[in-house]
Amino acid sequence: MNVDEILKLPSMPAASPSYPMGPYRFINREYMIITYETCKDALRHAVPEPLEPNPDGHVLYEWIKMPDSSGFGDYTESGVVIPCLYKGEPINFTAQMYLDDEPPISGGREVWGFPKKYAHPKLEVVADTLTGTLEYAGQMVAMGTMAFKHRESEGGIEAMAKAMTKTQCNLKLIPDVDGTPKIAQLVAYNLTNITIKGSWVGDARLHLIPHVNAPVADLPVKKIVGGKHFLGDITLPHGRVLHDYLK
Amino acid sequence: MKTEHILQLPSMPLQSPSFPRGPYRFTHREYLVVQYRSCADAIRHALPEPLEPDGDVVAVQWLDLPDGTGLGGYSAAAQVIPCRYKGEACNFISQMYLDNTSPLQAGREIWGYPMKYGQADLHVEGDTLTGTLVYAGQRVATGTMTFKHEAVKIDPREQGEHIGRTQITLKLIPDVDGRPAVAQLVAINFTDVVVHGAWAGKAALELIPHVNAPLADVPVLQVVGGLHLKTDMTLPYGRVLHDYLDKA
Repeated sequence: MNVDEILKLPSMPAASPSYPMGPYRFINREYMIITYETCKDALRHAVPEPLEPNPDGHVLYEWIKMPDSSGFGDYTESGVVIPCLYKGEPINFTAQMYLDDEPPISGGREVWGFPKKYAHPKLEVVADTLTGTLEYAGQMVAMGTMAFKHRESEGGIEAMAKAMTKTQCNLKLIPDVDGTPKIAQLVAYNLTNITIKGSWVGDARLHLIPHVNAPVADLPVKKIVGGKHFLGDITLPHGRVLHDYLK
Repeated sequence: MKTEHILQLPSMPLQSPSFPRGPYRFTHREYLVVQYRSCADAIRHALPEPLEPDGDVVAVQWLDLPDGTGLGGYSAAAQVIPCRYKGEACNFISQMYLDNTSPLQAGREIWGYPMKYGQADLHVEGDTLTGTLVYAGQRVATGTMTFKHEAVKIDPREQGEHIGRTQITLKLIPDVDGRPAVAQLVAINFTDVVVHGAWAGKAALELIPHVNAPLADVPVLQVVGGLHLKTDMTLPYGRVLHDYLDKA
């Protein structure tokens, strides 16, 4: 294998790269997002400077089912997103993510710095209840429930499609071979080619259980704001560096 | 969180890093190594330049790793291709599969170990030391070896060619725009190796073609033999042997 071939590889291993080059297209991506209020000290601790946490102390706990993801396959994800401000502009910081498929874990971490770990999330409709669960290393760490399609969201699918274009960011950390930081950046990206096929709001509840390696409960639930449920097609493009901690 | 704290984090995520800082000590690390003759073209194709092939005997290994500091307990399977770097005999790790993403992400992000998620298993069943590998629900490799038929002496100074040789990995990390940010050959040497036992014996190996776990792309022409090792060892940080992004 020569240098040209090596530099064209999208990822390790050379013998069969974990993920191809992006962008990545997701068909019928289904979300349940439960917005809640947490303790402001805990929130500040979870947000890297120069981001500022939102003044309301809101956190988005989400489950996402992704049955058809180009390059990645079929998997489910669950995690914590914190609305923040970057230089006064609204931005969503992804704080924790758990999923059950290695290529999007490796690709997510290595390309954009998504804070991904391996776990077993599930999003399903059980009788009248939209139900999300997350198991890490054999233990339940999160359980969210939402009333199923009780009300369409305000502004319908157009408003939801617009909301989905909000800038999102991650803290990308990659060590060097000697353990010192090689990459330490805030990475921003915007979803594109968004088609929303249905969007609902409703009552929701969220239960977070303390676990050292999946510390979703470190941002405790003080008050539930509400649930959102929507389905759509989106594209995840490459990202851009917002802030470089090594410069 | 302040920049000085961010730069002290060993890994993502900020709130619970996937892996701590090294070095990583492995206790009761057990190997089944099946060596086999393969075809020279496949070996050459699997080796990144400037590595050169070193013979036509390659190995598929199973590892049982019940206690890795900072990483937990897990099992792994790997394909190892002997090679030469500037004349020195080394082992290129071409593929690796394991069932624990803490070492999987540490392996990829620190040293560039070519790790993917798969279910490897190494155990004694009846009279047979048995290694299996399942990827995405399908069996892709089965290795079997006679159990402790022939004890072999391993020189503790040499530590055996499977443990003592320099390991080489191809570390590739993309930039946020998908272009390469890191493209290096990384060298790793285990330290503080203790060999508790080593046995040779007959072995058999089956590799089954699978697009995402292509061990069978380096096909088995003839099995040379098996090696069974029980060890303790330390995996330290690595060093950059060759940087593909350096403009000479």
